[in-house]
Amino acid sequence: MKRITQLGLAAAVALLAGCSLQEEPYGFNSTTNFYKTEADANAALVYAYAILPEIEYYSRNFILITELPTENITLKPDAGASNFEFDRLAVRPDNPELTTAWRYAYIGVNRANAVIANVPGITEMSDASRNQLVGEAHFLRALHYFNIVRLFGAAPVHTTPVTSLDQTSSARATMQEIYALITDDLKKSIELTDAVRRDGRANKVAAWGLLAKVDLTLASGKATNSPGYDFVPNADALYAEAKTYAGNVLSNSGSYGLDPSLKAIFDVDKKNGPEHIFDVATDRSGLSEGNYSKLPLMFIPYIDGAVFKLADSTSVRSGYNHFVTEPALYNSFAADDKRKTELIPSRVYVGNKETVLSITGYSRPFTRKYLDPKQVGEQTSANTPVLRYSDVLLLYAEACGPTAEGYAAVNRIRTRAGLTNLQPGLSVTAFRDAVIQERAWELAFEGNRLFDLRRTHKMEEVLVQKYGKTIQPDNAYFFATPTRETDLNPNL
Amino acid sequence: MRQRYLFSLFWLLLLPAFTWAQTLTVRGVVKDATTGEGLPGVTVLVKGTQNGTASQADGAYSIAVPSTDAVLTFSYIGYLPLELPVGGKSVLDANLKVDNKSLDEVVVVGYGTVAKSDVTGSVASLKGSELNKQPASSVDQLLQGKIAGVQVVAPSGEPGAGATVRIRGSSSINGSNSPLLVVDGFPWGDAGNLKQINPEDIASIEVLKDASSAAIYGSRGANGVILITTKRGKAGKTSITLSTLNTLSTLPSKLDVWSDPVDVAVIDNESRRNAGLAPLFVGENYLGTYYPSVAELRGEDPNKPAWPYRTYWPDEVYRNPFSQSYTLTATGGTDRTKFSMSGNYYREEGLAIKNYYDRYNGRLNLEQKLTDKLTAGVNLILTHTQRNGGSLSADRSPVFPIYNPDGTYFRIGPRDFGNPVAYANEVLNKNKTIDVLGTLFVSYDITKWLNFRTQLSDKYGNSIGDVYEPRNITNTGYLYNGFGVIDNYSSNELLSENYFTVNKNFNEIHNLNVVAGYTTQTFNIRTSRLEGRGFINDALENENLNTALTQYTTNGLTKSLLNSYIGRVNYSLLDRYLFTFTSRADGSSKFGANNKWAFFPSAAVAWKLNEEAFLRAVPTISEAKVRVSYGLTGNQGISPYQTLDRLGAGRYYTGGNFQTGFGPGIFGYDGFNKIWEGVPNPDLKWETTSQLDAGLDLGFLNQRITLSADVYYKRTRDLLRQTYITPSSGYDRLWVNDGVIENKGVELGLNAEILNGPVQWSVGGNFTLNRNKLISMGEDNFVWNGSSIEMLRAPVNAYIVGEPINVFYGYKTNGIIQTEEEGRASGLTGDMARPGEIKYVDLNGDGAVNDQDRTIIGNPNPKFLYSLNTSLRHKGFDLSAQFYGVSGNDVFDMRKFSPSRQLQRWTPDNPTNDYPSVNATRAYYGSDWFVTSGSFMRIQNVTLGYNFKSNMIKGLETLRIYFSGSNLYTFTGFHKGFDPEVPYNGLQYGSYPRPRALSVGVNIGI
Repeated sequence: MKRITQLGLAAAVALLAGCSLQEEPYGFNSTTNFYKTEADANAALVYAYAILPEIEYYSRNFILITELPTENITLKPDAGASNFEFDRLAVRPDNPELTTAWRYAYIGVNRANAVIANVPGITEMSDASRNQLVGEAHFLRALHYFNIVRLFGAAPVHTTPVTSLDQTSSARATMQEIYALITDDLKKSIELTDAVRRDGRANKVAAWGLLAKVDLTLASGKATNSPGYDFVPNADALYAEAKTYAGNVLSNSGSYGLDPSLKAIFDVDKKNGPEHIFDVATDRSGLSEGNYSKLPLMFIPYIDGAVFKLADSTSVRSGYNHFVTEPALYNSFAADDKRKTELIPSRVYVGNKETVLSITGYSRPFTRKYLDPKQVGEQTSANTPVLRYSDVLLLYAEACGPTAEGYAAVNRIRTRAGLTNLQPGLSVTAFRDAVIQERAWELAFEGNRLFDLRRTHKMEEVLVQKYGKTIQPDNAYFFATPTRETDLNPNL
Repeated sequence: MRQRYLFSLFWLLLLPAFTWAQTLTVRGVVKDATTGEGLPGVTVLVKGTQNGTASQADGAYSIAVPSTDAVLTFSYIGYLPLELPVGGKSVLDANLKVDNKSLDEVVVVGYGTVAKSDVTGSVASLKGSELNKQPASSVDQLLQGKIAGVQVVAPSGEPGAGATVRIRGSSSINGSNSPLLVVDGFPWGDAGNLKQINPEDIASIEVLKDASSAAIYGSRGANGVILITTKRGKAGKTSITLSTLNTLSTLPSKLDVWSDPVDVAVIDNESRRNAGLAPLFVGENYLGTYYPSVAELRGEDPNKPAWPYRTYWPDEVYRNPFSQSYTLTATGGTDRTKFSMSGNYYREEGLAIKNYYDRYNGRLNLEQKLTDKLTAGVNLILTHTQRNGGSLSADRSPVFPIYNPDGTYFRIGPRDFGNPVAYANEVLNKNKTIDVLGTLFVSYDITKWLNFRTQLSDKYGNSIGDVYEPRNITNTGYLYNGFGVIDNYSSNELLSENYFTVNKNFNEIHNLNVVAGYTTQTFNIRTSRLEGRGFINDALENENLNTALTQYTTNGLTKSLLNSYIGRVNYSLLDRYLFTFTSRADGSSKFGANNKWAFFPSAAVAWKLNEEAFLRAVPTISEAKVRVSYGLTGNQGISPYQTLDRLGAGRYYTGGNFQTGFGPGIFGYDGFNKIWEGVPNPDLKWETTSQLDAGLDLGFLNQRITLSADVYYKRTRDLLRQTYITPSSGYDRLWVNDGVIENKGVELGLNAEILNGPVQWSVGGNFTLNRNKLISMGEDNFVWNGSSIEMLRAPVNAYIVGEPINVFYGYKTNGIIQTEEEGRASGLTGDMARPGEIKYVDLNGDGAVNDQDRTIIGNPNPKFLYSLNTSLRHKGFDLSAQFYGVSGNDVFDMRKFSPSRQLQRWTPDNPTNDYPSVNATRAYYGSDWFVTSGSFMRIQNVTLGYNFKSNMIKGLETLRIYFSGSNLYTFTGFHKGFDPEVPYNGLQYGSYPRPRALSVGVNIGI
């Protein structure tokens, strides 16, 4: 009996001890079992794009940190202190929104790196598809590093995905090294991608446009002696290169062009309009924020919580009134500039009662660049534009300088806005300044103004001298590296 | 007692054989001195002879004695023997006293039992009958104040709400701090929400507090262990008992809410004016709602009729609920078969309308001797619960009615979704659970001293939640045009335990008890959530989610495995020197590849001084034992899969629809913020607590007075913590082990039987003192614990190195600003410097109040806890009372500026320093203005009962009727109208009121 019991016990123990303590994941893909098929490759790229519309990136935070420091917007009075730090250009290195901007750009880099590292090894797909996917990933990595280097200057660089703890801390690369990587990525993207339009995705045209912007950033930074651009060898060569790439967009892209109607550009039902070279895509049918956007609610005033109408009968639900238009921008428009009269409504109607929003009031005239009249609950389909045709057209004008081509480009923009042509005969500097000002009006609220002022060395001239703001140290041309990075990265 | 009954019947049959042979007869009744109940089967002997008898079922006896000066001896197991001289009397009653020092009283210690007198660790024991008789959907709540060293915080009076249980403080900052709960040997999980057990079924509750006793549970023992043992069968006549408890509850006190419409209008207008907004109560429409003027509300407006509404919301939202509990129990058996079974129906109605909690519970413990050496058995617990509704707010303006004239719910403005009556009536909010715990065991006595036991258990739990929020009732319902959810959860745990027990005595000098074995437990949790948004109408609620415009599904499965080796040696020398060595080795799939196995050793020594000759000579000291223990226990509160490289998933809108992507970085939530994780940590492991305990057990006058005292020091290292990793890696956080926390404290328990004659009076109490301190947290010295609180735009609780956990962090204040100059002089600017505002202190004296001026402003951890109980018995009556107190803790009172206090607001005419002016848009800072002492003492329970004499009603062996009152009164300086027992972190938002419960209970035994 005893023996039988012992045998029984031994068997029971053997059976149960046989269960391995090794964990096997359920519901998770891991690097080892993924990246096998074309569908996997597609999904890898989709994930790389999916970081863009997160609230911490283009659907709020990126706009917050790039627009608040400028003369475009300020905040409702009871907004959080960390937001006000941007408005007052007094951003501390531990600012949560600053940290978020840093984090999300690098999360994007890591996702793009995963595509660049793993998709080329997938053999079960055509070269064309593989090239397209890898080329778009190079575009995305370039975009994230372009954001990082414009916001922070020198920063750590990862060109392979991080999969273990010992890979987490990279040394800081110089701006020159980062720009070399960006340029290289965009050239690879141009080489690998086609020019087919796919909503929410980049292609060869987007890569041309972004490379033009990169070149112009370097060129204008060098030409204006803006801090940090000493390494650039030759401004004129880069202006010329920018002109080439921007020119490619203007001449080689059948389905892109200027939209004759300003309002149509920002109509969420016309996302395939000619101006959209690269947008961050959202849709109100999404299941969570990041799939849909709440960015419009940040700009829309709170009219007693009511649903109100604009003069053209567009229906708008009261928003958060969080970002409010600054008089500096609003009053800088010519009175008949359509970009003000059509895109910054100041009259709202609750029932038949008209309310005129004052530019100095609590609820002010607000941009309708982010607006979805078919909003479901708080879910909107408002995309955030990254690269518009008019942006590239103005890049081209700036690259050309006061030539016939340059004037023609800027005047196309002015004509559409209902303005007269730009004064002829301007000097190179005066012309480029005029183009930068044109960009301020044309691209207001779209996350360009801060970078335009920084790369043209105009932060003090415009924000301090013209608009009376103050700028704290470590805020003017680059923000400080976030504390979390400096605390944790021993290789900085 | 039942088996004695059989004996007495046997003796009864023999009785006539004695009676006729003798001439002198003495009669009488043998009773329990405590309860006054008759004791059957008591052996009655004429001293110095073999002449004896046994008492009958009602305790009556009759015996022939040889002479009038004979002496009778009465003896009965579990009672002290008694000798009485006959002294010529013919009637002689005997009152037997319970032998408190009963040697066969055993304590469950996990994988075995030990005699109470042989316990070497810090183990507290409570009988099921000592639990208060009050409605309690979870057993944990009933432990409050019962055991020294055990803190139970039950801030909510909602039926089905759980409690926070802490043994000897908190020893983790991210892992669980709840003790391990073990039900009939099955490690159930975290204590705090044990709804599946009917309190009536509990035979005993043991609490393992020190390392020596808890180490047998290894990596789950660091927070202490609570062992619950349900009732077992006994050989003897079957007893059937029915217990009922019917309870009527009321609100414990008048709530601090608005009652007078005029007050609301005056305060609201003033607070809007103070904020620069136009007042609303001016007799005009605003967003579709007519706001009467103050004069109109007062009935002083000649042009307006008297205002028709004066809604007192507590009357609409709360009720006096009626709760019921019925338990039918059958216990009995023979020498070979023993059983205990019960069925329970429990219904607790909440104070809030429509809110209730139902439970159906069945239990079976069956044990069969297959051969003389082999025993097999089954333990089964089945529980079904159902909850409906929940908390409702009574903080609503009395100016407005509940309903519109057309019967629809009245809304204050188009986006008002705060009507609690609408919420209670229209929102679907139900939850159903099924739990099954089944155990099959075989126990084999290989030799007289060696036993092998193997058991297989399965615990299955299932829960289904139903939610539907209609479009016009809640904000979510409005945003989505109807919002429906079905939440599914099922868990399955399989446990196999196999162990040998050695019990051997050598020459009456050495006594050895050894337990050694192997256990393995698997854990599987499956979840799914089906969500539908946007419905054509609200008629189907969540019944057909497929008809929703948008459907959203999530599901998950977590699996883990725990393999363990257990071992314990109890050795006693001369029954005086006791040694215990305990250890457990745990291998968990959740631990990192480099740390798969954890080992937890412990040792304890005890010395029974009362067995030494020098103390045997002192008869007043019946027990004197000193105990010392030291050992390691662990905490493995890690989520599975943290050690693996995993890819995240997300969606992006392209090509006209959403596409799914996979890649590095998993979206997560660290409790407060969105985070991205996914870098594996192969070194991840358990937290280790080392604990030193020294204790003293004293008993006097044959245990009439007992005292137990413990001091302990606990130090926990390798705290599980989510550290930040370099953000440029593309990840945010990673679970690591660093950080140290310590707890030290004192526990005292005292019981005294002051009177033990016909009137019995006993008094008991316990005292718990714990000091907690965070020693280190890796690279951090300060971490908020909690998300930002909307009103304060900052969290309140913080983990600060060198401080107790959860201290409040914020600004100091110094009354109310009386003049503009005073405000500016204190370093405040703008609106915050105005008279009537709270005067925050510029602590660092730099001339400006900013976040550099924050400091520690309060500590929610009590200085000590105490409890007192007393009971009085006379004849069939018994009266008992329990008091529970918490002292020296701070509460952060979010409801500080309650309506009654807004009426005492600062105004230029009332320059108070207590309360600021009212202001509709004031931005508050987290400050000590909100901090209030949370000390209280509660009359927790008073019970008055009567035990009827056996068979007074024919067929009823026992009958007891009692009245019990719970939460009768609370002595406290805390905010009137609110309960001072707030959640563990000290933040009081005004939780579900704790009812005052008045119960009638009946216990019937057949």
